[in-house]
Amino acid sequence: MATTMTCNNFLSLQQRTFIQMRTNLKVVDNSGAKRVMCIQALKGKKGARLGDTIIASVKEAQPRGKVKKGDVVYGVVVRAAMQRGRCDGSEIKFDDNAVVLVNKQGEPIGTRVFGPVPHELRKKKHVKILTLAEHIA
Amino acid sequence: MRLEKCWFCSSTVYPGHGIQFVRNDAKIFRFCRSKCHKNFKMKRNPRKVKWTKAYRRLHAKDMTQDSTFEFERKRNRPERYDRNLTENTLKAIKKIDKVRVDREARHHAMRMKGKKAKVQREAAKELEQSIHMVKAPAVLREDSSFTLPKIKVKASHQQAEENHPMEE
Repeated sequence: MATTMTCNNFLSLQQRTFIQMRTNLKVVDNSGAKRVMCIQALKGKKGARLGDTIIASVKEAQPRGKVKKGDVVYGVVVRAAMQRGRCDGSEIKFDDNAVVLVNKQGEPIGTRVFGPVPHELRKKKHVKILTLAEHIA
Repeated sequence: MRLEKCWFCSSTVYPGHGIQFVRNDAKIFRFCRSKCHKNFKMKRNPRKVKWTKAYRRLHAKDMTQDSTFEFERKRNRPERYDRNLTENTLKAIKKIDKVRVDREARHHAMRMKGKKAKVQREAAKELEQSIHMVKAPAVLREDSSFTLPKIKVKASHQQAEENHPMEE
């Protein structure tokens, strides 16, 4: 579990925040990258949230993939540990921070997406990612 | 709109309340309030936490099997809207709730049966054994009004004499 908590010390309750510069994210498609570090959150002064696009630098990549280490890529945040409010008033949050690499037009570079994705992507017009997803939260 | 159940305490989560947590294996946990959410983060097992429905059902404090629960099962096929059907369903919900509440009350009464008699017996026993904590035994022997009379008198008299030491 990502959140650490000792019963008596409520100061250690993790308050999850935005995805900003230097945030490491997991890559959940088969574009070849494994880990990616955010260098800019487009839209949002404090940072990116669930469903936003970011510019990132590839930190770790698989040897034969579409992207190499050190590439600057665009990505769409598909899972965020910070909760995001839904239009019906409830909130949703995921276990980790994950991103799907896209090109400038918003189309995914990879051909598969792993893990659950939120349906906030539909509103943001990332329909292609939704079709590739195996589970929509 | 859908009324969900809290994963931890099994109460209904109405729209606009609560948090849903999606784990990476795509399992969704819904919580009705932060109390349940925090307990979940502490990795507590709801079957061991006394105030949850899971515990109560497991330890037979609440009804487990009843035909009224069948009506609340989750159905995944959406029904075509029919005004009559909706009206009848709403009326049925009211009636089923009433029946369920009655049955739960009866279950509770069955569980608590025999408690009154047990409490009375224990009180009488305690009175016999621990009266020395209230009044010294020497005093009790001298002042006969404080002992329980051995002779059977009329019921009303005995009641009055018994109540004396109890009041102390």
